[in-house]
Amino acid sequence: MAGGEKVRVVVIGGGTAGWMTAAALTKLLPHACDVHLIESEAIGIVGVGEATLPQIRGFNARLSIDEAEFMARTRATFKLGIEFRDWGKPGDSYFHPFGTFGRGYGAVDFHHYWARLRAAGVAVPPIETFSYACTMARQNRFAPPASDPRDLRSTMGYAYQFDALLFAPYLRTLAEELGARRTEGMVVAVDRDGESGDIKAVALASGERIEGDLFVDCSGFRALLIGETMDEPFQDWSPWLPCDRAVAMPCRTETALTPYTGVIAMPGGWRWRIPLQNRTGNGYVYASAFTDDDTAARALESVVEGKAIARPRVLRFRAGRRERSWVGNCVAIGLASGFLEPLESTSLYLVQAAITALIELFPERRVSRVDRDEFNRVIDVEYDRIRDFLILHYHATTRSDSPFWDYVRTMPIPDSLAEKIALFRSCGRVMKHREGVFLDASWIAVYTGQGILPGGYDPRADLPVADTLIEGLQALRGEIGARVAEAPTHSDYIKRFCRMAEAA
Amino acid sequence: MSAGAPVRDVVVVGGGLAGWSAAAALKRRVPSLRVTILPIAQPADALTDRIACTLPSIRGFHADLGIGEEDAVLRTGSSYRLGTSFAGWAESQPDYVHAYGPHGAAVSGQSFHLHWTRAARDGGASPFDEFSAAATLARLGRFAPGDRDPRDPLAGHEYGLTLNLAAYASMLRAFAQHCGVIEQPRGLRAVRLRDDGWIDALELEDGSEQRAHLFLDCTGPAALLRSTIDDTRDDWRRWLPCDRVLFGTTPSAEAPSPLDRVTAWEAGWLWSAATPGGCGVVYASAQADDEAAERLLSVGGATPIGTPVAIAAGNRIEPWRGNCVAIGEAATVIEPLEWTNLHLAHSAIDRLIAMLPDQNCAPVEAADYNRQHIAEAERVRDFVALHYAAAKRPEPFWRGCAAADLPDSLAHTLSLFRERGRLPFYQEDTFDRDSWLAVLIGQGELPRRVDPLVEAVPAAESREFMARWQRAIAAAVPSRPTLAAYLGAQHRRLAR
Repeated sequence: MAGGEKVRVVVIGGGTAGWMTAAALTKLLPHACDVHLIESEAIGIVGVGEATLPQIRGFNARLSIDEAEFMARTRATFKLGIEFRDWGKPGDSYFHPFGTFGRGYGAVDFHHYWARLRAAGVAVPPIETFSYACTMARQNRFAPPASDPRDLRSTMGYAYQFDALLFAPYLRTLAEELGARRTEGMVVAVDRDGESGDIKAVALASGERIEGDLFVDCSGFRALLIGETMDEPFQDWSPWLPCDRAVAMPCRTETALTPYTGVIAMPGGWRWRIPLQNRTGNGYVYASAFTDDDTAARALESVVEGKAIARPRVLRFRAGRRERSWVGNCVAIGLASGFLEPLESTSLYLVQAAITALIELFPERRVSRVDRDEFNRVIDVEYDRIRDFLILHYHATTRSDSPFWDYVRTMPIPDSLAEKIALFRSCGRVMKHREGVFLDASWIAVYTGQGILPGGYDPRADLPVADTLIEGLQALRGEIGARVAEAPTHSDYIKRFCRMAEAA
Repeated sequence: MSAGAPVRDVVVVGGGLAGWSAAAALKRRVPSLRVTILPIAQPADALTDRIACTLPSIRGFHADLGIGEEDAVLRTGSSYRLGTSFAGWAESQPDYVHAYGPHGAAVSGQSFHLHWTRAARDGGASPFDEFSAAATLARLGRFAPGDRDPRDPLAGHEYGLTLNLAAYASMLRAFAQHCGVIEQPRGLRAVRLRDDGWIDALELEDGSEQRAHLFLDCTGPAALLRSTIDDTRDDWRRWLPCDRVLFGTTPSAEAPSPLDRVTAWEAGWLWSAATPGGCGVVYASAQADDEAAERLLSVGGATPIGTPVAIAAGNRIEPWRGNCVAIGEAATVIEPLEWTNLHLAHSAIDRLIAMLPDQNCAPVEAADYNRQHIAEAERVRDFVALHYAAAKRPEPFWRGCAAADLPDSLAHTLSLFRERGRLPFYQEDTFDRDSWLAVLIGQGELPRRVDPLVEAVPAAESREFMARWQRAIAAAVPSRPTLAAYLGAQHRRLAR
């Protein structure tokens, strides 16, 4: 090839991030790189059951992964969004859908009409009742979206909930078939170039030395290369996102198979509920400054909805990210690059974003500064925007039932978020974010769901006559109800489409 | 926060295209407003009213107002344009055409230009613009709207207009009046501010006062309203070296052409647009005096109009402050290369309509408007500055341009492209990837290396695709009418 010899890529760590990276590189750049992944079975994988964002479907498609097979193998279910319970105040419930409110087109966004009627004192139902995705989710139904943008059924997106511990092996098979090499072993030393500081090789406990041109750090929280070796500073976001522990405990799926993830506020944080075909992932995310591990574990045990499958297991973390994810010839992907709590299911999205950027900016054997700068620019934007979106969930509440909620309710928030909130309160406008992962509907869902309501609205929403508008909204709800009623239940759809092999 | 009362009264000051466009759009799209315009004459340095060439975005602006092409183009004696031909910008490079449409199509999921780069590096690619159907049509003087049939090889491009300025301005005024815009034909004597910097009232020449909830300053670079509040601007002169324009007229009417021509010369560039466009010279006064510019025009057979106009390139970082919004050149002063002046005015009008405040004019809403304004204006600045940064000519002026520091965003764009042919994404970019590529590649920038994702596709497959694409264009183009024939047919249809 014109660029010279193949780039020797060494991936450290065989969790989800590591195998996603290896699979994508071997699939898309087989002529440009050799991939060598080093993992140790002595080191566990953090994966606790994964709820994802719709972008994951693009990743799978690029890898030519068959959806039904992938879902059966990872015991996956469909995800239409997230139900948030008890966030704005105890007793609340709102839905963050993968999809739009209203029909999702027109010069003026749907929520301005909704805000107009509210302002006029009309008793309008919650905005989620005008969303096809929310309505389908609430009824535990599922049908794939339509492709014709005029069809109401095109206004939804979907993602998956799957077993992360099964996804990595699935990708490993794929990557190894495509030529990735795998070495079992522990990295005990890192050899760097004295002049450039670039990594030349890693030494394993076995005595083996593995050289490379590009090192991808997928070692998880340990950040073996980007942190321990390259010493890239970590931006600590825990003043805004104080949760630093999670206790996880799966149980059998005994209740209805919901096509959505449950996220329920707790006195010391929140808990997730991620239904897979055979079991349901549960976990309580909390701040160690306010809640101890035993209290958290007992609280979780008392609320899970099925027979527990394992003992509670505690995970520790810290919110934030590396100043730069790509330093020298070392790229950090996944938890090694940063951590944001799984409140909005962003962790695999961030892995995917980094892989996509790495592939588009794939270097030569000698890394160019320009590629690195662009990679870091793209990844920083992703992290920073998700950060603000997460903080919003804690800030927009009236909960005062614990020291934890008192802290997050009153903590100072980033200026960038304060401005976004003020803008929405003022005129119902969502700050424009073409690059960010969460689009208008996501922000609208959380704002309105947690009590931040627009004081004003787009004056153009005043153009239709009130009665016509009200009739239009009623007709929309009628159509949503009719289309949702045509969809099969989520369980039936899965049984037909992607039923897992019986659990071993 | 409680909502304020809705804005009812808007006053637009400025009787040029920006002012009439703003008044018409506000009244048409938010009919509950009472829109009054003070159509004071535009100064000579308002380029928006003197540049006939416009970008494709003008058509969307018309569509939102319900102005059809019969009224906007045919009845005003205006014409269509597919792009600009650039000559002399890079020695040893042929002329290139920047048209508004795709070059080729993705091959195996990878952008066409990356395949073209590989072929060019291997020494065997036809000029990049030959893969643009719109550019090919334009060179041949032919025209096709491009947006009719997606199966058509000549689809997917857009086109702008070449305005017959006086007739177009009259049409716009008549349209605004028809929509219900109130014309207040009085001069402006003074702007009276409140203590908090809001505009209290405009004092008019007949001694009367004009009040409003919102004031739009469309008075051109002088920004007669907005500059009374403050005059903080970001100075762009170090990046945009030309500071003068001399307009000219050509003696006889040419046949209509969908292509205008922009030619570099020793201290700037000159343009000539087909009828009803005009011509002119844009130059750096430090490198060429006004007589040199006049001579240049007369060599081409043109006659200068009036005296040269000064341009102080720069951008207002807070075009919206309090109850006053500066639109168009009152907010952004930039030379006419790539014809962005009216586009920036239209874009500001659209943005304001989407962000129309209540009577409180909340600062947080203005800040959001201003942020988008800055992002947009700076990317337009980058695109215009790119032409100078990537130019390759021997004269001192051009050597200075090639060596000059660039805005960070442009420097990053250029270095990423030069390294590997990719273009970073920036918010609010007016010009899409194909426009950037047309100029970068047209001026001889060739990425240092071939993208690895393209290496995954056999070179023969890329070459075969490129050849097929060229054949498809060559086969389709002869069936398209000349622009003269196209316009003639439209006029005949209109006459029936």
